[in-house]
Amino acid sequence: MAPVGGPGGVAFHRTRILQLPRSPKVIAGIVILGFFGLVAVIGRWAAPYSPNATDPKNWVQHILVGGTGPGTPYPAQYYPLPFPPSAAHWLGTTVFAQDALSQVLASTQATLFVGLLAASLATVLSILFGVTAGYIGGGTDEGLSLVANVFLAIPGLPLLIVLADYVPNAGSSIFLVGAIIAVTTWAYSARTLRAQTLSLRNRDFVEAARVSGEGRLRIILVEVLPNLVPIVAASFLFTTLSAIGAYVAIAFLGLAGSPTADPPGLWNWGEMLREGFANNAVRSGWWWWWAPPGIMVALLGTGLALLNFGIDEFINPRLRTGGLSRKAARKAGISAYTRLGLTPVASSVLDAPQPATRAVSATEAEPVLEIRGLCVDYGVGDQAVHAVMDCDLVLRRGQVLGLAGESGSGKTTLALAAVRLLRPPAVISAGQVLFHSKPISGDGPTGTIDLLAASLDDMRELRWSEIAVVLQSALDSLNPVITIGAQFDDLLRVHRPNMSGAERWSRAAELLAMVGMSGDRLRSYSHELSGGMRQRAMIAMAIALEPQVIILDEPTTALDVVTQREILEELIGLRDRIGFATLFITHDLSLLVELADEIAVMYAGRLMERAAAGALFHAPRLPYTHGLLNCFPPLHGAPRRMEGITGSPPDLKALPHGCAFHPRCRWAMQQCREERPRLLPIDGASREVACWLHRGYAVVPPELARPEPAAKKLVHASVTRVGPS
Amino acid sequence: MNGVAPMATPAATDVAVLEGRDLTKSFWVKQGRGPLAKKARVHAVEAVTVRLDAGKVTAIVGESGAGKTTVARILAKIIKPDTGQVFLDGQPAPAGRPRAYAAKVQMVFQDPFASLNPVHRVRHQLVRPLEIHHIADGHVDEAAEDLLRRVALQPAAQFLNKFPYELSGGQRQRVAIARALAVRPRVLLADEPVSMLDVSIRLGVLNLLADLRDREHLAILYVTHDIASARYLADTIVVMYAGQLVEAAPSVDLTDHAAHPYTQLLLSAAPDPDRDEAPKLAARGAPPSLLAPPSGCRFHPRCPYAMEICKNQVPPSFAVSRAHVAACWLHADSAPKSASENGLFRPLSDQSAKTQ
Repeated sequence: MAPVGGPGGVAFHRTRILQLPRSPKVIAGIVILGFFGLVAVIGRWAAPYSPNATDPKNWVQHILVGGTGPGTPYPAQYYPLPFPPSAAHWLGTTVFAQDALSQVLASTQATLFVGLLAASLATVLSILFGVTAGYIGGGTDEGLSLVANVFLAIPGLPLLIVLADYVPNAGSSIFLVGAIIAVTTWAYSARTLRAQTLSLRNRDFVEAARVSGEGRLRIILVEVLPNLVPIVAASFLFTTLSAIGAYVAIAFLGLAGSPTADPPGLWNWGEMLREGFANNAVRSGWWWWWAPPGIMVALLGTGLALLNFGIDEFINPRLRTGGLSRKAARKAGISAYTRLGLTPVASSVLDAPQPATRAVSATEAEPVLEIRGLCVDYGVGDQAVHAVMDCDLVLRRGQVLGLAGESGSGKTTLALAAVRLLRPPAVISAGQVLFHSKPISGDGPTGTIDLLAASLDDMRELRWSEIAVVLQSALDSLNPVITIGAQFDDLLRVHRPNMSGAERWSRAAELLAMVGMSGDRLRSYSHELSGGMRQRAMIAMAIALEPQVIILDEPTTALDVVTQREILEELIGLRDRIGFATLFITHDLSLLVELADEIAVMYAGRLMERAAAGALFHAPRLPYTHGLLNCFPPLHGAPRRMEGITGSPPDLKALPHGCAFHPRCRWAMQQCREERPRLLPIDGASREVACWLHRGYAVVPPELARPEPAAKKLVHASVTRVGPS
Repeated sequence: MNGVAPMATPAATDVAVLEGRDLTKSFWVKQGRGPLAKKARVHAVEAVTVRLDAGKVTAIVGESGAGKTTVARILAKIIKPDTGQVFLDGQPAPAGRPRAYAAKVQMVFQDPFASLNPVHRVRHQLVRPLEIHHIADGHVDEAAEDLLRRVALQPAAQFLNKFPYELSGGQRQRVAIARALAVRPRVLLADEPVSMLDVSIRLGVLNLLADLRDREHLAILYVTHDIASARYLADTIVVMYAGQLVEAAPSVDLTDHAAHPYTQLLLSAAPDPDRDEAPKLAARGAPPSLLAPPSGCRFHPRCPYAMEICKNQVPPSFAVSRAHVAACWLHADSAPKSASENGLFRPLSDQSAKTQ
């Protein structure tokens, strides 16, 4: 429900090919790579000296080789001595009196060239192999994958050494070196691309291209390949890095051709390191000789890695939105101390004066969960998306309260924020949530608890034992690696420490029986159960500790109608027996009308209408509710055309002025465009509506002025549903 | 014209635009891991015959796993049936997936977020089918705009330049439908076209399909799990259970006088706020595993009326009333049909026998 992130998997919701997020990491990566690019292009000419030129002035500096010279039987032998950094030689010289800076600058070009050449060749190879294997599948896939696996199994560096050594004068040709490195590095990317292509191959848009008669080659090139661009780019950068590593390594081993040999090889960082090491640069403390090429390798690797992070974030937006940055949070007045498993609350919320508790009238059931003026944002500051605004909701003991709305209306955000289950970047920016605890069983806390002020320990005591949550996807909620029985066992062991193992097991079987499942299902793993069974097991787990509140978020949406009906029947039976209150969230208003005692309708983050289920169905007061009810074709009567609601749900980032529903409302007035209506009681306290039509002098359309049904639901024959025509 | 489904009249005499006859398809699934894993057969679709007529919407209704999507994919020639054949205009459809077939039969997928390529603009999605089939050569942009107008996306020129992520779910599904219409097909196979859409925009897409049927005389297959929407849109409803057809009838007839116990179960479970009291489920339990489907009638383990014969013998289709057939032994007193008026069921004994 969060308005962040794309629809699962590889999300391209900012599709301009590789429009990278502008994070500091990416910018730093681009700056570093830009520097190397510049050096690679102009370095050779910008170098103050030729990398091979010896500076005879410095040749005189030398040291005596130990055990030679005066006092020994041997004639004096001298090591040349390199010159430390000076004005003439910014990075000093080598023992051959060559300028180290010039060597570093000249080396950049060849190193980078080999890296990019090898990565390009490897990328082409990996696309050819990976995409072809993944798309065509079958025997072709097996054959090509086998080839790739063989290359993966061969240790890269030894093969490289053998190849580089075997090909005569290979080292002097950077093209050959690049090609050899490419051959040893392509297989890894090929495997990644194959896996991605396999998943893309069966995507609906590829299927659609096939159904429209598109040819195979065009599907691969035009439909599949562009979707792989971020992954290709990531693996290109990765291969560049490993190719540079490989080039430096073989040069260090002396296999890439020495610049002074015949034919001469090119200067590169590996060659510099080799000469330095061969001439005791490390032991003698001549850091200016060996450190610069090492730092260059490290820096280039850092730049490539930073850019790769950016691509990772682009491929997987969840990495980007994983949390709130401390700085942004502090600026927005949110305590920087956000803990895992607890929705952060803006500090202003806790400081705000709390409204007095409303007196409970005698006719109403006692409230168990009270939500007052709750506001929830995703993100902070100017970037914040206001997902829930100023919502009041009271859940009473034993009641089924339905929360209806379309996707993005904020219904899940409202419910999960109230029990503080939303992860950052969700932030509760205003409001109050009171839990009036009176445990049904167990030794939970009693009395009124302010959930927004509660600590993680307080919440832990309440969660599951007093407030349970069942989400849409039971497969994600159940632990896949232990049996259902073990999960019941864990739950009961923690919360009912006095129970013995056998008691826990029999209690678990009893709970499964309550939701219509056989006790031997305790030995099953979640993947062995059907969707309906899983959801039943989830509900059994939710009621295991006899909570006072169960929040059900679209619990049956993914299930078939028959299973849905069975589960709902069981749920209502359990409610009657145990007496928990239920907050039932769904987009299916027609289901809710049958199920709930009271229904609240949300639109664009606000509660818009609240009424008893029968009243809401038979006499809606809100145009949106009226429209929504007209979106469900009936199962009776002569078929007739229905119009539903025109337009689409609004974007939370750009809500219309005034009433958020006015662009889709057939009865919108001037006032609706200018002023936002507030949720106020109408026809007594039992129902509320946020609509200007019911205020002041507006003429209420007959569709929205139907008489309230009698206490019992009306017989359907007497109901005229006047639809828009 | 309005989008209300008129009572279907049996279109028995004229030739169906697209017909799948006796379609059977099994999938093989690995049981266990490794090269020695046993392969088990999933009987996904068995002996299903379905026909689509010009200017009519035929709905396939069933729970998940009933095989309804498999039927649609066989008709789209995305997968090949093991046995049975697809007939286009009475002629056996050519093997493979030739472009000539693609030009007549098009498909709309369930998830509009997955069925449009995220890296291409709307223009590409619409223009490609036009180019492939050499429709509107030279003025494809105008043709694409015209397509968008036909699915009520205005201003069309603006939508052409949008990426899928810039569109809402309903708009995407309209683009997907426009793409299917680009080749001027005669058949539209819509696989759960509204189930991923927001409630408030579903009717708009259903009404669009109804308009296409009426205006352009398309034969439409509407695959859905929602029997109420099938009643709203379709002329004929075909109910599938565990890979087999169980009942077929004009839509209002089927929902008002369901003859098969499974259809009754579906109806009793469907949300219906008009009901006065809590519904009583007509049966319980879950659909069977298609690895080892029950003998006889596949519904018999759940059926409240199951008789001995149901366990042993597969029920043929019986005529319940005109154009209304049900594959259920409860209706055995009526004459068994060898080929029902709307040609939906396979014959009892002899393929070629015709009572009419």
